[in-house]
Amino acid sequence: MSALTLPATLDALEDIGQFVKETAVSGGLDTGAAYRLRLAVDEMATNIVSYGGVAEIVIAATVTARDVTVTLVDNGVAFDPRRQALPSEAALAAPLEERDIGGLGIFLALTGVDRYDYAREGETNRNVFTMRKAPAAPPT
Amino acid sequence: MNITVSQRGEVSIAAILGEIDGKTAPLAQAQLMPILEATNKVVLDMSSVSYLSSAGLRMLLVLYRQATARSGKVALVGLSEEIKDTMSMTGFLGFFEVSDTLDAGLLSLA
Repeated sequence: MSALTLPATLDALEDIGQFVKETAVSGGLDTGAAYRLRLAVDEMATNIVSYGGVAEIVIAATVTARDVTVTLVDNGVAFDPRRQALPSEAALAAPLEERDIGGLGIFLALTGVDRYDYAREGETNRNVFTMRKAPAAPPT
Repeated sequence: MNITVSQRGEVSIAAILGEIDGKTAPLAQAQLMPILEATNKVVLDMSSVSYLSSAGLRMLLVLYRQATARSGKVALVGLSEEIKDTMSMTGFLGFFEVSDTLDAGLLSLA
């Protein structure tokens, strides 16, 4: 497992993006899966550093034979993104003139990855993003 | 993130280079809004944009509203497959003129 602790500011987003991209490469994710994992983690990290009221954010990664997992940890107030109302289909089809832009980040974070988990552990929020690796080609 | 602006006839072309995220989207928006206030036809050349988050979508929304309020148009050129996917999932893609090449983008505004 690798991990990084960063000051919780918007400047951290670049380092977080780089960390996820390197993890995705070392984990052997394809381009699309790597991009969606980075997007999901970036959206949640943006939320945490913008609204979490925390000093630091921790990002950690685990690669196994089957999947790549990235975890964001912060010690802000409890925030379970799964309890947020996601934009409805009607809202996502509405003309841009009438859009309420809120909620798109959480929507992209929760829907872009193969599995998303949230846990409140003691005083910390744990956001866990998992992408399954594409199955290896069968032997010929 | 870096923006280079050029003029082709009545169309302003803004070529964006880099990643558009929660940090850079407000900076990009601040540079692009004056262009949309001065010109009705703008091409955003995104062929060198490798990443666009919801903060970038918010920026596109603001630019779109600015353009349509003035009966102007914003064309997007050179979107990566991943950015197209994000814009499609969030219902943004259909509201912009989207082209693969700069020439096609210019034609879409003609």
